[in-house]
Amino acid sequence: MSFEDWIFAIHLLSAATLVGALVMSWILTVALRSVETAGTTLSFNRVAMVGATAIGVGLVGAIGFGIWLAILRAAFHPWDGWVIAAIILWCIATAAIVRAVAEYRKPAERARALIASGQTGPDAELAALNRTTTALLMRALASVAIVLIVIDMVYKPGA
Amino acid sequence: MLLHIVGATVVFGALLASATSLALARGEVRLLRLGYFSLLLVGLPGLILMRLSGEWIYRKQGWGDLPHQLRDVAWLRIGFVVADGGAILFLLALVVGGVGIYRLRSGKGGEGLLKVTMVSALVLAVAYVVAVWAMTGKPGKPGVGAAATPAVSAGNPAATVTVTATEFRFTLSQAGVPHGTVVFKVENKGKVAHDFSIGGKTSSLVAPGKSTTLTVTLAAGTLLYVCTVPGHAAAGMKGNLTVK
Repeated sequence: MSFEDWIFAIHLLSAATLVGALVMSWILTVALRSVETAGTTLSFNRVAMVGATAIGVGLVGAIGFGIWLAILRAAFHPWDGWVIAAIILWCIATAAIVRAVAEYRKPAERARALIASGQTGPDAELAALNRTTTALLMRALASVAIVLIVIDMVYKPGA
Repeated sequence: MLLHIVGATVVFGALLASATSLALARGEVRLLRLGYFSLLLVGLPGLILMRLSGEWIYRKQGWGDLPHQLRDVAWLRIGFVVADGGAILFLLALVVGGVGIYRLRSGKGGEGLLKVTMVSALVLAVAYVVAVWAMTGKPGKPGVGAAATPAVSAGNPAATVTVTATEFRFTLSQAGVPHGTVVFKVENKGKVAHDFSIGGKTSSLVAPGKSTTLTVTLAAGTLLYVCTVPGHAAAGMKGNLTVK
């Protein structure tokens, strides 16, 4: 494998980590919607942190190695239309994910406060936070942007 | 291709969710159930989608029609081993985890069995990372034919051949060359990227309108040349060069 092949492989591994972690975060998001107790919320939060870290690694790796590859490869350039489209979509996805992660901090904070005050049973406010629509919409926006990036990368329109 | 990628990433995501949930459950029943049902309800459909679309690509791109030395490549073997061997481990993990969930429901434990499922999911996740690396980096990507003992020094080529690539054929400026070092000037006059492989060496991928050179030392005989972009050789981008 050439140096360029390695960069390409790491770029795609990062992308796979990103999309895989996004699938993982969707599983957690759906499961979290029926959670009403502080203990379970924090348990889910532990798993969600792993997913969020994987998403972060995937986002940084995909863009970093992707741009590096566009510079390295004679066949492509960073200013090609499909590369610029991918970068714009990446920015939208990143902004949406950052917003979604911030939203999901709220139920974790509420759960910690409940546990500190000795409340371990169901809590209506916590349940509402776990069903946050904003975070769901942001995650959906990020997912659509990432699916569009994958389509853009596979078919390379204009390349 | 898109369905294959979607299927693979769905499986990978489900494996991550399952392994992490089961590893971090600390006895939390909902997380244990989440870990198992991630595999069953998300991972399994993803696995089926990935495998079926992978098989469809293999047939559509005509891999089965390619010469053995082109078809028998490390990255494709790794892909098949991970997909098929991984599917068996996946199903075993589901069966063991299913028994674990059943025992958990009836209050007879079951966490130990779910740990086996967790370890299996973790092993599969690592295997998928290796498969993604293999599918993208394509280690062992073949050249075609055998390189010969150098007869002419690299600085003094025996022949220079212009190779014009279009969809989906190669046109060579000469049908035969003397043995020794041959320089191939590969020009892509098509609309998609192509490469040129002969004598155990493969050129870089050439974008439409671009060109590259490939220097190969060839022995006398008839050598197969192909474009190694999947599907292109089967579509007609292959031929034989006579080396005298």
